[in-house]
Amino acid sequence: MDKRLLGALATVVIGVAIIAGVGSYVANAKNDSGVLAATPAGTMDTPQGNLPHATLAISVYPDSMWRNKGKVAHPGYVSYGPVTNFEVPAHSVITMTVTNYDSGESLNNDYFAHVRGTIDGSATLNGVRITQISTHAVGHTFTIHGLSVNQDEMFVSVPMQAVAEENIPDAGYTSKPNVTVFTFVTGGPGDYVWNCEYPCGDGSIAKFGHAMSTMGYMSGHFTVKG
Amino acid sequence: MTELMEPQTPQWWKKADVKKTFILWIICTAVIGYVGAEFHVRNIVAPASENMSSIISLIRIFTWAAAPVAGLVSAMSITVLTSGRHYGDNPPPEADHEIRNSPKTTAVWIVVSGLLCLFALVGGLVVLQHDNEAILDTKAVQVNVVAQQWVWNFDYPNGARSEDLYLPVNKPVVFHITSKDVKHSFWIVQMGIKMDANPGYTTETAVTPDKIGVFDIRCAELCGLLHAYMQTKVHVVSQADYDAWLTAQAAMEAGA
Repeated sequence: MDKRLLGALATVVIGVAIIAGVGSYVANAKNDSGVLAATPAGTMDTPQGNLPHATLAISVYPDSMWRNKGKVAHPGYVSYGPVTNFEVPAHSVITMTVTNYDSGESLNNDYFAHVRGTIDGSATLNGVRITQISTHAVGHTFTIHGLSVNQDEMFVSVPMQAVAEENIPDAGYTSKPNVTVFTFVTGGPGDYVWNCEYPCGDGSIAKFGHAMSTMGYMSGHFTVKG
Repeated sequence: MTELMEPQTPQWWKKADVKKTFILWIICTAVIGYVGAEFHVRNIVAPASENMSSIISLIRIFTWAAAPVAGLVSAMSITVLTSGRHYGDNPPPEADHEIRNSPKTTAVWIVVSGLLCLFALVGGLVVLQHDNEAILDTKAVQVNVVAQQWVWNFDYPNGARSEDLYLPVNKPVVFHITSKDVKHSFWIVQMGIKMDANPGYTTETAVTPDKIGVFDIRCAELCGLLHAYMQTKVHVVSQADYDAWLTAQAAMEAGA
């Protein structure tokens, strides 16, 4: 075979292999764990009237070892799970249950130690009604941004109580997680984002790096479907 | 004795190329000025403060001031591109005396450009100075603005706090802006104010909203993963509505 033709073919094959390799790496690194749809749960009376009710149950872990047995891009990153993208119905009551297995420290902004945007501005922590928690014992927050470009405003921010250090085992997850339950009402259809406002990312950018700056760990999409 | 005669050349402004360029200059100036000042300004949001109205007027004035410069460059480009070309190995015989230095032209060009720059600088400073006048107003509403990836929150003197901003109409407001993490930029789009939010520092800016309505607040400094989503609303309401909201919000915060 002509050497020049062989060289051209080899160049094309190597180019395709490089592109495939880069594409595969990017696809594996994006950490898009899928979408969790809220489970319908009848109706509920709210200040806005009797509305359809749906529930979501998620957890916060001190690492990502629970995900695919740790075979993820960053197994050491703190993470929400089982996924970080959620889908809920419009004009409905949503009850979220967040089980926190992680410890914590002080918030850098006490604004996020308060429960905001829920029905009557409260939540329950291990069954006890709360409107805020200590700024020095915050594990994480679940904060839906109040974006309102061509969609209804929806700002919800709930702090998760940190697990006491003495209850954090050397290996595995604590058997005494803190469970926070909160309920809020959705408006019309819209695409929102949420993230944790406790600086838990370690590394650079005032601890807002790493897990805080990578989709699929401490941030994701929150879609309200009509 | 035979007297050597200088070849008669037409005066420069009578040359065909110059006339053509001059006509094109007028046309290009009018087109660029009108399109820039009118169509560009129409795409800017409707102003919600005197400051933003002044900025829009300034943009219109600057555009018209710059139009003759852009028009002249455009006209000369068109003339050159559409002129007859000389094909051959050597320059045309008239090239030697067509290209010459002109200190007068250079001086005029530099002075006019300098005056335009000075006009832009002074005009901009005069308009932006409106921001700072309200900072000295003792009756101005004081609001602390705290930026954090990727949310804004606002603190008012009576203890009220919020994630979307509430302001009374026709009253000066002073913003004390800071950040909890990285650099952000506090931008109220329709009010024409934009100020950096720096961690560890407090910057100040002020504005007097002059329209009741709901307007946009955005982060104007690339600040991380969800920068594009770092936006909220400012509700400009009557003084009575503002007072009622402020009282209710403070009570809610105290009870929380």
